[in-house]
Amino acid sequence: MMLPPAAVFHFPWEIKSNAIREGESIRTFGRLVLYQSEESRATLSAEHASKEHHVVVNTLFVEPFNPILGAQYLVLGETENAEGVGVMVRARVLTCVDGVNIALLQKAINEQRNFFRERECGQAQNAQPGNTT
Amino acid sequence: MAAAAAAAAAANLGEDQFLSEELPSVLWGLDPVFSAFPRLYVRDIQDMPESIQVPGIYFYNSHPVYRVDVLGKVVYKREREDFFCYGVDDGTGVINCLCWKNELLKGGEDPHTRDPKPGFCPRSRPCVMEKLRRAQHNRCRLEIGELLRVRGLVKTSRDKQREILASSYYKVNDPVMSVQIAWMMEVPELYRQCYDKPLNSTSTALNKAKGIILDFCEEKSVNRFRPYDLQNILQPLVSSQLQTTAADQQPVAGPSACQQLCQLLKEALDTLEKEGFIYRKVKSQDQVYNVTTQDKDLLIAVKCIIREDSAKDKYAVKGCHILHILSAVRQRYSLNVSRAALERLLSFLECSSDIISTGENRYTVF
Repeated sequence: MMLPPAAVFHFPWEIKSNAIREGESIRTFGRLVLYQSEESRATLSAEHASKEHHVVVNTLFVEPFNPILGAQYLVLGETENAEGVGVMVRARVLTCVDGVNIALLQKAINEQRNFFRERECGQAQNAQPGNTT
Repeated sequence: MAAAAAAAAAANLGEDQFLSEELPSVLWGLDPVFSAFPRLYVRDIQDMPESIQVPGIYFYNSHPVYRVDVLGKVVYKREREDFFCYGVDDGTGVINCLCWKNELLKGGEDPHTRDPKPGFCPRSRPCVMEKLRRAQHNRCRLEIGELLRVRGLVKTSRDKQREILASSYYKVNDPVMSVQIAWMMEVPELYRQCYDKPLNSTSTALNKAKGIILDFCEEKSVNRFRPYDLQNILQPLVSSQLQTTAADQQPVAGPSACQQLCQLLKEALDTLEKEGFIYRKVKSQDQVYNVTTQDKDLLIAVKCIIREDSAKDKYAVKGCHILHILSAVRQRYSLNVSRAALERLLSFLECSSDIISTGENRYTVF
């Protein structure tokens, strides 16, 4: 049985070719601003630090889906480099979550990241003395 | 069975260097995490080492765990005759969940034809069963991308993969992600307050601190104190804890000894207050705690109330009820006397034969 790798939460503005490995499993969110059905391509948009960031999503695996322009979507899939687009997410899951409290979601993601960072710091510090002695 | 396994394992104690790090199985029940369904991250469920003493038990940070509670997106699904296999992704890992089908879900055939006595209760029963079947169907049959909540036993499958044997599972309707967000906010807090705290340092240090404070108050007949007065007597607890950790590692940048001390003191006082050993007569900036059974004024006030009210016709036969005494104490003495504190005081007075209990929660004076 082949389980896919875990899709870790990323903010839409973190999905850039220099920040993410190709083939990495991620999940992210954004407002659907464009859907090109003939190319199976959707574009999600999110605002951060007064800049608009776009995430291009390949929707081939999740079709047919009902595109609601302007609604918030959650996408889960693998990144790949597409010509002319840069990083594209090949969606395994695409769900409409319109009405989601984006600010709270961002807070929750950060909360989780902080927790893992804290814990890894703690573990690194605990492990270090053991290695040196 | 666990005890026998522990005894057998204990016999091999010499060879088994790992066992010393594992809590003996007879003590597992003392850990509240053991009897809960901890909400661990999938990554942690996969990384937990299995117990040497009893297979099927795992350790997260020295907490024994054998069942978990997980919420995640279904990213893989396979259906068999008797069960579903769902791959659940919580953002930290993906785990396979084995979800047994309910009788109602097995076989997709029309429930009407399966009913042995169609004449019995002709309309309502099949209709209800059909409704139930449909509800079960909706809750238990998930598609990829839907949200699943699973509680169940952690198992290691034959190919060494961790999986969850669901004892209950259902689809979660979460159209605006509120459930997922709440979960993401809650779990780190659970880890910090519970799963990441070693059992020993939290519960036993707290119990020791409580014991020290109570002994101190009794020996010195302390009737009132401020938290500051107790810092010195709890100091040895924190420094001994530091010594045990410092022996094998350099001091870690964590809460300082002083912060630890304050935290421990606060927790100890909170528990003592909840259990009625101490109370605060006046709630103000200046934290003064009264020791319940050493508070002469309170003792007199309570005795007075019982003596006066026992003389009244209403209470003459049965004695005064504790709730009556409580409201009278709050009116006449201090609003902050808790029921726990009053109960402790009444049993103290009863021990010294100052009052007599006439029945459950009722007291009188002769």
